[in-house]
Amino acid sequence: MQIRKLLRIARWEVTKNAGGVDRRTVAVVVAAIALLALVAPLVAAGGVGVDSGLYRVGVDESSPYYDVVRQDDTFVVTGPDATAYDDGDLELLITGERIRVQPTTKGEAAHDELRSSVQQYNDEQLKLEANQSAAFPVSVALEFRSQTGLGDRLRIDQDGGEATETDGAGGDDGGAAGETDDGAAGEADGGENASRSVDPDTESGGVGGLGGLGGPLGNEGVSGSPSDIDPPFPFESLVLAFVFVIPMNFVIQAYGSTILSERINRRGELLLVSPVSRLDIIGGKTLPYFLGAMAIEGAIAVGLIYTVDGTVGGLVSILAMTPLVLLFLGATFLGAMFARSFKELTFVTVTITVVLTSYAFVPAIFTDVGAIALISPLTIVVRNLQNEGVTLGEFAFSTLPPMLSAIVFFGLGSGLYREEDMFDQRSIRGRVLDALAGPISRPYHVGVMTAVLIPFVFVLELLAVASLFALGEISIVLILVVVAVLEELAKSLHIYAAYEHRTFEARRKVALVLGAISGVGFFLGEKLALLAQLVGLPELAIGEAALQGAVFTGPILVLFLLAPLALHVTTAAISAVGAGRGKRSYILGVGIAILVHLGYNLAVVTAVA
Amino acid sequence: MIEARNLRKEYGDFAAVEDSTFEVTDGEVFGIVGPNGAGKTTTLKMLAGLLEPTSGDATVAGYDASETEMRSHLGFLPEESPLYEEMTPITYLEFFADLYDVPGSLAEERIQETLDELDLEHQDRQLGDMSKGMKRKVAIARSLINDPDVLVYDEPASGLDPLTTNYIIQFTEQLAAEGKTIVFSAHNLFHVESICDRVAIMNEGEIVARGDLAALQSEHGETTYHVYTTVEVPDSVRKNGRWHRVVGTMEAVERTRDAAQGAGGSVADIRTEESSLEEVFLNVAEGHEGEGKSEA
Repeated sequence: MQIRKLLRIARWEVTKNAGGVDRRTVAVVVAAIALLALVAPLVAAGGVGVDSGLYRVGVDESSPYYDVVRQDDTFVVTGPDATAYDDGDLELLITGERIRVQPTTKGEAAHDELRSSVQQYNDEQLKLEANQSAAFPVSVALEFRSQTGLGDRLRIDQDGGEATETDGAGGDDGGAAGETDDGAAGEADGGENASRSVDPDTESGGVGGLGGLGGPLGNEGVSGSPSDIDPPFPFESLVLAFVFVIPMNFVIQAYGSTILSERINRRGELLLVSPVSRLDIIGGKTLPYFLGAMAIEGAIAVGLIYTVDGTVGGLVSILAMTPLVLLFLGATFLGAMFARSFKELTFVTVTITVVLTSYAFVPAIFTDVGAIALISPLTIVVRNLQNEGVTLGEFAFSTLPPMLSAIVFFGLGSGLYREEDMFDQRSIRGRVLDALAGPISRPYHVGVMTAVLIPFVFVLELLAVASLFALGEISIVLILVVVAVLEELAKSLHIYAAYEHRTFEARRKVALVLGAISGVGFFLGEKLALLAQLVGLPELAIGEAALQGAVFTGPILVLFLLAPLALHVTTAAISAVGAGRGKRSYILGVGIAILVHLGYNLAVVTAVA
Repeated sequence: MIEARNLRKEYGDFAAVEDSTFEVTDGEVFGIVGPNGAGKTTTLKMLAGLLEPTSGDATVAGYDASETEMRSHLGFLPEESPLYEEMTPITYLEFFADLYDVPGSLAEERIQETLDELDLEHQDRQLGDMSKGMKRKVAIARSLINDPDVLVYDEPASGLDPLTTNYIIQFTEQLAAEGKTIVFSAHNLFHVESICDRVAIMNEGEIVARGDLAALQSEHGETTYHVYTTVEVPDSVRKNGRWHRVVGTMEAVERTRDAAQGAGGSVADIRTEESSLEEVFLNVAEGHEGEGKSEA
């Protein structure tokens, strides 16, 4: 690769496209960027007020709650009109310290909002105290726990789940939480007032005092699912994640077009015959889009941090966005190498947008929920913007899989960036097989290719974990199915592609050898999953299901190393034998392999549970 | 300057080019002719390093055809003119000059000189707004931007109007006169015949005949004899006061002379006519017709 030539191509890529963009397109892009620039700081500075005026409260001016509800835009404040309350025109009626709550879902939500407002009000009052140490005493709760094995850990998780349910239904833990930070706040005036003021005839009257408000999001060390999240929805995380993902979709449209346009009417042929390597060409054509995307994402990160804190920062966010940007570009590059027309490219880019946006966006919304959110690099970004710390392990866990996947995408795509593959009209299916078969000419290449595909499999499995996270117990079975399908395809599809290209003899012995090599390659590559331990994702039962075999320690380690090895070799050999006999046999073979793999997964999960 | 040794290119079971071997010396104009699908373009693309041979190898200007450095000494003109249509001719040529490491001032001078020689009008227009002939001229100018030693031109006048075609053929002749080594393919055999020193005829992936035109005519062509007599002889027609008979051998000429003398006349004139390249090509192609295509 010659950097000088790469930069020249990059410079000319910008020059060439600058002449091809019409004013209307420029106007749309500028408008979109301006909208983002407007919305993002608003959100970062405290939300855009979509819940403004949501609940109606009748309150006496002499009530200690009057100032609380007045300063919360969520409430529409009126006088304490009992008739209006009885007619259902008020969600809350506050007279003095007595709170009446409509026995409706909206009434309960209004009551929850009032609790939050009281908490916030209390905190603001305490901040005005001269002695801040007294206002915010530090309370440390120590809990000694013995080191336990997997089975115990699973039981602890289950216990934790039960405890979470108790939080919501009873209130015992609410009282317990009062001993921690919340409890400290509860000792202040507002808290005391609040704890005395709940209307006994409302369902929520039994919940610990307003000052002791905790809930699943406030409970340290207990992970839940989105269904456990109390209002308000994590709107800030959602918008922050959205703000970062949206520009990427503009960038990949332009990038996909420029790559495909090289292939339409053989326009890229003359670059291929000029004294530059194809890596120079690909690098040169990608660089402007990479830099452009990074500039946009960097500007958003720096701008948001400056808006919130008044400081210049965002390096962690920019570093975390780098693999995500590369993943979007890599997937688009490969997609553009598969597409035969702009119509097909549209299909490809929409698919990429949906899948990668889901991958990046959905986990990042639940940044506060638990380790599961770290699947997406965007979670690192959101945490960084919310001034939360990120460990090196968390950073690696979030960013390495997408980075490696991006490299796989670019690698497969660059294999097609040559005269023979760029300009023909083979179907997308044919091109996928070409991309997979291209690097394979010797048996050991099969194992290397399998290992190379591991990051891609890993990302998809993590995406499945994130997507199915909220479904409860059934999600574990679904995850096992997804894992079996993905891993068996990753172990065998390139073997089938190689057979399609007649790279190997279609003899059973050869197929068995290829399957064994692929199985070993997968087993070795799978150890990448060990990264998951860095952030404790396997401590969730669902993470355990997705990453089984990679998390055991102690005497059972050998068993749990050999068993997956035997599984991968066996199932890959079954698929390879099928692949050697043609398309239908391959489908049958990989189907059997998936069933064997699924059976193994279910047996392991049942055994450890 | 160019050596191709046993070049072979397979696509699955199909062999597009089979064991193609030829040499092109410095300053020579070498033509490759053949019907559609004969393997001409595949051969040229292997020479240009665009396609990797399944077996065999090629060297161009002393470099293996697969080497990136070789491309600095090569000017390749594909059959189509794929241009970046958002660019003007000048910016397009500047872009390629940049890739070929041509210094700015030299590039500017060379671009203007070539475009003037090619008589290219509307140099400030975007390429997408230009006619096919104009685009072809820009493509030729691009192939010359690095002042290459070797030019590989695939159907340079394909699909152009007669005026532009003539212009491009003349320009190619001029390049040959300047000492460029040129490999040239064309469907129009008249063009090949007019500018090529040697010719290879390809059919179904194989070179089935090669040599200079005289040798090809001798080996694969026919000499036709036009015998004019003062009296009527068998199979003759009256033409300009004489009798005209066309025969294919000297024996037939002698029999015609004897017949004329026997009728009290004599032979007034004998003219010979050699086969054109087109006739040679047709003879070669017909000779190979019916031979099965070999499998890889």
